[in-house]
Amino acid sequence: MDELTLLYSYQVVGAMLLGIGIVGFLARRNMIVIFLSVEMMLQGVSVSLVSWGRFNNDWGGQVLTVFVITVAACEAAIALALVLGLFRRSGVLDVLYWQSLREANQEPYIEHELPEPPPEPLKSWPHLTPAGVEPRIEEDLHRSHV
Amino acid sequence: MFDVETLMVLIPALPLVATLLTAALGKWLLKEQSHWPAVVAVGASCLLSFVLLFQVRAAVRQLDSSKSAAAASAAKPIGYEKIRTLWTWAVIHDVLPPDAGRPTDARSARDLDLGISLRTDPLTAMMLAVVTSISLLVVIYSIGYMHDDPGYWRFFTYVSLFVFSMTMLVSASNFALLYVFWEAVGLCSYLLIGFWLTRPPAAAAGMKAFLVNRIGDFGFALGLFLLWITYGTLNFHDTPAAAGILGQTLLSDPSRYVGGGVGVAIGLLLMLGACGKSAQFPLHVWLPDAMEGPTPVSALIHAATMVTAGVYMVTRCTPLFMAAPEAQQTVLTIGAITALLAGLIALTQTDLKRVLAYSTISQLGYMFIGLGVGTLPAIVAGMFHLFTHACFKALLFLGAGSVMHAMGGVVDMRRFGGLRHRLPVTHWTFLFGALALAAVAPFAGFWSKDAIVAALSARVSEAGPSSSAFYRIVFWSSLFTGGLTAYYTFRAFFLTFYGPEQIPDEAGHHAHESPRAMTRPLVILAIASLVVGWYFSRGDRFGKFLAHTPSLAYATVQATAQSAEHGGHGQVAFVSTLVALTGIGLAAYLYLGDSWEVVWLTRRLRWLYAISYGKFFLDGLYRVFLIWPLRAFAAGFYWVDRKLIDGLVDRVGRIPLAVGSTMRSLQNGLLPFYAMAMVFGLLVLLGILVR
Repeated sequence: MDELTLLYSYQVVGAMLLGIGIVGFLARRNMIVIFLSVEMMLQGVSVSLVSWGRFNNDWGGQVLTVFVITVAACEAAIALALVLGLFRRSGVLDVLYWQSLREANQEPYIEHELPEPPPEPLKSWPHLTPAGVEPRIEEDLHRSHV
Repeated sequence: MFDVETLMVLIPALPLVATLLTAALGKWLLKEQSHWPAVVAVGASCLLSFVLLFQVRAAVRQLDSSKSAAAASAAKPIGYEKIRTLWTWAVIHDVLPPDAGRPTDARSARDLDLGISLRTDPLTAMMLAVVTSISLLVVIYSIGYMHDDPGYWRFFTYVSLFVFSMTMLVSASNFALLYVFWEAVGLCSYLLIGFWLTRPPAAAAGMKAFLVNRIGDFGFALGLFLLWITYGTLNFHDTPAAAGILGQTLLSDPSRYVGGGVGVAIGLLLMLGACGKSAQFPLHVWLPDAMEGPTPVSALIHAATMVTAGVYMVTRCTPLFMAAPEAQQTVLTIGAITALLAGLIALTQTDLKRVLAYSTISQLGYMFIGLGVGTLPAIVAGMFHLFTHACFKALLFLGAGSVMHAMGGVVDMRRFGGLRHRLPVTHWTFLFGALALAAVAPFAGFWSKDAIVAALSARVSEAGPSSSAFYRIVFWSSLFTGGLTAYYTFRAFFLTFYGPEQIPDEAGHHAHESPRAMTRPLVILAIASLVVGWYFSRGDRFGKFLAHTPSLAYATVQATAQSAEHGGHGQVAFVSTLVALTGIGLAAYLYLGDSWEVVWLTRRLRWLYAISYGKFFLDGLYRVFLIWPLRAFAAGFYWVDRKLIDGLVDRVGRIPLAVGSTMRSLQNGLLPFYAMAMVFGLLVLLGILVR
């Protein structure tokens, strides 16, 4: 496999990772998933950098990747702490919950879902027939065993 | 230690210290003892003023004897003056460009050099003695009068501040410094008129006094600018840099005083300032309203001292007025009009203090008549009248205060009467003051007013045919005013102390003689009203002393001394006494017995009565012709400011708002939206890069 094909393959993988990340970043509402998507974009870029470094035969791409990983680690720590804090305040992970930073006269975005249909009342309730004798618990005996 | 240089600093400094002490400690520490700093400081100042007076007199006598010994010596100074410059207040270099229009004989000093310069000469020494002694008596009186007032410490702070300002005013040797303290006494007047600041009339009267004085002070300021342009200095005395306006250099060569249009303009502008401060005709309206202040203040500021600042200033500037005879005649005219007008208004006033206020205006008019005549005896007589007037008018006001104190603050003479048994001391002292004001023979007012009228009659006899009629009219009007004075003074006296006893309800259990702190100053002033006129006019002591003031000692004024002396002194004295007695007799006839004639006269002369009672409707005229147009003018400008200028600014302020509102819908707070925008932005950037 020659160098150009190698570069090409790596570029495709990196671009796919980046594209998936972008789609996830735009489409998902769960804060943790959004964060993961961002990480995925970073990895895509890292793959691309590494492959270019190999192709050009210098260490710049690798060095930059190590740097990106370091920064991503820090960022992960901070971002997860923030997400955790937000979750503690609201109990949800939905980013649409946090929209109070809009202009004062903007209408809030309210999700109009179809109301769930009320569950059908059960026609007949399952029941167990009581059987046997109620055991008589001797308190003293019981206590002595506990 | 008590040389002149020290004294002239100590006299104003002590009341200043008292002011600071009372202001700092009065509210928390001194409280009911707040009068002590003022009493001690003003008392000491008074004592030092008299020491200064005696020292100046000794110096003047020495000057007299040396004059007779070596009359030929040419380098003899004009008059007696001592200058002390404490420090330089401000120096501004090259205020005027070199080619500015300036008489060539003014020295080329173009620096505006303002020093804190104090001076002592006979005029200042005499004013200091008058101011501090009246102040001392009034301060002592106030201990009784202001007792239990919640603003006790405030009152004594203001009064000591006033004494400081007034002593500085009369000892300033610089027009700028004079102007500063001119304003300072105006400020004290304003503060003390509105002393009972919760009473709307008092606040309004303070405002009125301040605003009316603004007009005069504006003229005064313009006069100072003109003086500065003309003479190139504002100092009274000579300095190495420039010859002072009233300094030896100019006085020894009076032809260097600028006459003509500029001289007349200077005189008129200075007179406008004096009109404001001394309540002369067009600007006199503030003084009667100023009676809203505490009565000791009326006695001190609005009768004896501050209102005479204008008289003092015009006397000080005599050389400027001598150089501009038209301005001097204006002074005379204004004085005569004021004296007559105020006398006529005072005839029908029912408020005891207002009668006295109008009589003050009238007497100030007399002083200006003296100054306007412009001969040495007349000017000296004007100052002499200032001096005696300070004594007896302070006495009358303090007596009125004593009546008010007993009557629970009522001043309407229709509501009390026959008080001579209840207030014996006030009655007798008021009688002395009234006799002095009416100019009855041995009392103080007689000597000074007679001197003015005599000087006036001498001027009539020597005036040329063109101006003789003018002086004759002034002479007869001032004689007539003398009769009016006697009449209205005794009308007030009889209404207050004679007739059936009548006490208003407000008096309560108060209707008794005032405490000794109040009656003692009355007695002292009554004795002074009896003796000072006779004592000081004997052998023309006052005149000879005052004639050594540099402004009065130079050749032009001294030349008028001889010519005026042959006036018919005794004749005039006889006529004016006759007029005064007629006035008193008329008042006694109308107000001592059953007063049906008063009612009859009032009905018969209803129009005249209404004009006099309505103060010639001057307040109304000012309201219609000055205040309303000014209000309309101001309302117009208010509209322009509010609607036009503010409206424009408001509209400019809305532009960013309008621009911003178009972008505002983008800020919807939704994170996915922002993310989308970011990605699109990235794509656009990429597109640009790739292309």
